[in-house]
Amino acid sequence: MKNKFGLLALLIFVFVGCRKDKEIIDGPSINEIYSTFKFLQEFKADRAAVDFEAGQTVIFSAAFNKVVNWQISIEGQTSKAKKIISGEGRTISVSNAVWNGSTTEFPIFKEEVCLAKLTIKEVTDTFSLNITVAKPKVNAGLVIADFETGIKSTWTKFVQSGASMDFNVKTDSLAPQGAKYLKMAGTVNWDYLIGLIDYPATAYGGAPTLPLETNPENVYFNCMVYGVPNTNQSIILFQFKEDENADGTFNSNNEDEYDYEIKVNWEGWKLISIKYSDITTLVNGAPATPKGNGLRNPNKIGKISMLHLANPNDGFASSKIDYLIFTSSKPLEP
Amino acid sequence: MINKVIVTILILLNTVLLYGQNDRKINFVGGARSLLNANTISVSDSLPDTVSVKKNNGGYAIMDMGLLIKPNKNTEIMGMFRIRNEFGGFWGSGVSFDVRQLWLKGVVANALRYQLGDINLKQTPFTLYNHHADQIDSLPAIFDLQRNIVSYDRFYTKNNSWRMQGANVDFGLNFSKIIKELNFSGLITRLNATNFSNIPDRLMAGGSVNVVQSKYFEIAYNVNSVFDVKGTILDSNIFKNTVSTIDWKIKKEINGNLISLGGEAGTSKHYFSADTLAPNLSDYFVNAFAKYYITKWKVTFTAGYLNVGPDFRSIGAQSKDVNYNGLPTFFNRYTNTQDIRPITLFDVIGNENIYNRTVTQNMMPISTVFNNVLPFGIATNNRIGGYARVQFKTKNEIAVNAEYFNLNEIRGQGSFALKKFEVYKAYVFVPINKLIKHSKHISIQFGTTIQNTKRNSSESIENIKLETMQINGGFRWEIFKNFDLLGGYISQNTKGNEFSADRNTYNEITYFNIANYNLNQQILAGGIRYNFGVNTHLTLLYQSNKYQDKLGNNASFEIKQFGIIYSITL
Repeated sequence: MKNKFGLLALLIFVFVGCRKDKEIIDGPSINEIYSTFKFLQEFKADRAAVDFEAGQTVIFSAAFNKVVNWQISIEGQTSKAKKIISGEGRTISVSNAVWNGSTTEFPIFKEEVCLAKLTIKEVTDTFSLNITVAKPKVNAGLVIADFETGIKSTWTKFVQSGASMDFNVKTDSLAPQGAKYLKMAGTVNWDYLIGLIDYPATAYGGAPTLPLETNPENVYFNCMVYGVPNTNQSIILFQFKEDENADGTFNSNNEDEYDYEIKVNWEGWKLISIKYSDITTLVNGAPATPKGNGLRNPNKIGKISMLHLANPNDGFASSKIDYLIFTSSKPLEP
Repeated sequence: MINKVIVTILILLNTVLLYGQNDRKINFVGGARSLLNANTISVSDSLPDTVSVKKNNGGYAIMDMGLLIKPNKNTEIMGMFRIRNEFGGFWGSGVSFDVRQLWLKGVVANALRYQLGDINLKQTPFTLYNHHADQIDSLPAIFDLQRNIVSYDRFYTKNNSWRMQGANVDFGLNFSKIIKELNFSGLITRLNATNFSNIPDRLMAGGSVNVVQSKYFEIAYNVNSVFDVKGTILDSNIFKNTVSTIDWKIKKEINGNLISLGGEAGTSKHYFSADTLAPNLSDYFVNAFAKYYITKWKVTFTAGYLNVGPDFRSIGAQSKDVNYNGLPTFFNRYTNTQDIRPITLFDVIGNENIYNRTVTQNMMPISTVFNNVLPFGIATNNRIGGYARVQFKTKNEIAVNAEYFNLNEIRGQGSFALKKFEVYKAYVFVPINKLIKHSKHISIQFGTTIQNTKRNSSESIENIKLETMQINGGFRWEIFKNFDLLGGYISQNTKGNEFSADRNTYNEITYFNIANYNLNQQILAGGIRYNFGVNTHLTLLYQSNKYQDKLGNNASFEIKQFGIIYSITL
């Protein structure tokens, strides 16, 4: 009988064991559902002035008594650039609210005073603080064109002789990066092509090919494109012409050309980023077989042609472009 | 249609009588009931209720007619029809004709018992068991009249079984050494049928192996599994809930008194095979108790330990008989805004519309008013603690029962603070006729149940204090031979606050609603009954049901009912 009692006690002991249920709860926190919102730690930034060029960042912090949906909107007081950081939780901290100088809504931040505003869903009050950008963010990569010095003499520009042609660098508050951008506009009723610019590799260090990585998976091409409201659709075609034998000349019969077509069907500035390995060969907009070795070799790009196109039946077409840049490993985070 | 039914019944009756007279291989079983009632409601609202009706008169007559056929000594076949006629219907209007039950049972080779069709099934309190958790244990006799109707119509039997459709078998082996008996039982039932689109066939299968070592020790392994049958729909997502348990009984006589240890322990798994959103739940439980019976005083003391994990799930044991989303039989809506009338004590005692016939497949809503502590009986998940019970009966048959539960949550609900629960129950039954040596029945009874729920948290919003006190009393006085005067009173006060949980399709809590109570419910009933025999009576019954919500969450009201019940069971 004693053995039976012992066995029973052992059985119960094994079953009961140690529970860890006290560490979790079922359902949402009642305190969070019903208590009124309050700060446990005020909204603040770890620095009042920041040098993004030197790699500094701004870390925002705050703590609340309940889980909330929060949003920090940082706006450049001069540029009107905007950075949005949002999340859900009880805390704002280094894990979810670090600003590295990047932009969500163009233009890019300049040297200026910014207002960081915290808004909480279902809370009417907003909470603000000022941050001075001493030096804006510098983006690593190979800049093909930012138009800050106009059209370079090393580039080749061709513009059709259509009506209302405007293929010039502009300086106004619309510039998403720096102070200038390129406007491409006009009416060409006999051809898709309105104008083009060739960017030869020799303009970037003298070598017949661009100084890029060999692995097309690691190379991203980026540019900022502006869709003009209430105009016909522009098409921007980039042709990446590989000088595979490095003889300083692109031969369209036996060397690869990869193309990327952008149909500008939006309004305002938009960042376009494409991995080089995702770019295909196009003939009249349709995929085709490359004529060379069939391998995407970003380090063998001898020339980039940027064509502004539009359907000749549509009439006037217009778009703007800025900051053509190759980045490594990831898309541009301006 | 009604003519055909009547002709069929007459032919059947004739067959029964003729055949029954010869060799009694066919017996007629069944029952009949007629209920006539007149109800009135008065509503206390801020604006006079000018929209809803205030009177409801009605009733019905039912006849359950069954044939119990015994084609041989080892086989029985039962088929029972129910004819129901709503008062006010005439020649077919309001008449329904249903198959009430159909089963076949027998014994194979004098060893294996089987039953097919409609069957009442029960395993253990944690596998398959109808706990009747919200019922008043010490219900005065006058209210039994209505509860018996619910029990009869919903096939609730005294042994806590659920009515299901399927098959079960059991057989046993006797041994001369080491163990005395080895008993096996198995069941399989269909919980729902596929629609060949998105609802799969869902079955429940179970079994037990019981080893009786001696009259002092027995142990059993039990398993119950609810599962979808793969392939009955195209979706490969399969639901399964399996409960495996061991239960034991150990007895020993000490100085003529009996001490026994018993209990059950086991595990459960509850999951969907291919639904990444569904939680996979597994947990365990232990219910262990010791009983000590003092023969001389006819007193039984029980002390137990209960630990049921938060994620313990058992469809068979955690289905409730009361469906609090059901609608009352009458006065469903009231007040000028046509609010749904809350389920009251009156409905819980005798409203068959809010009772389930069989197990449900989702965790049903509980009522914090009627049972906040153990809404699924001792199979309620997320409870740990102890309980004690004393049962006492004198030689004059005065019965006294007292019970106490002291439990805690294991896992917090919307809070890291845990709720504490207490239940006190007491019941006294006094057969006065035995005390004064009177030949006719005179008895009184009293009972009380107190439930307390408390949670003290560092966040005051999470605090809970809910107290429910129920008292009841009743009497039965046989004034003349077979002629009873009956009376009863129940009062229940619920005061405090709780949070009621909203759950998603996976039974996960998604929100907590604040519920504040200051509620008083009272039922006062009186009646006279004439007993034609043990199972036949005619009763005139009057009762007043008051529902008073002092916080005004629901409009207060009073329902008065006068009823005539004629019931016969063959």
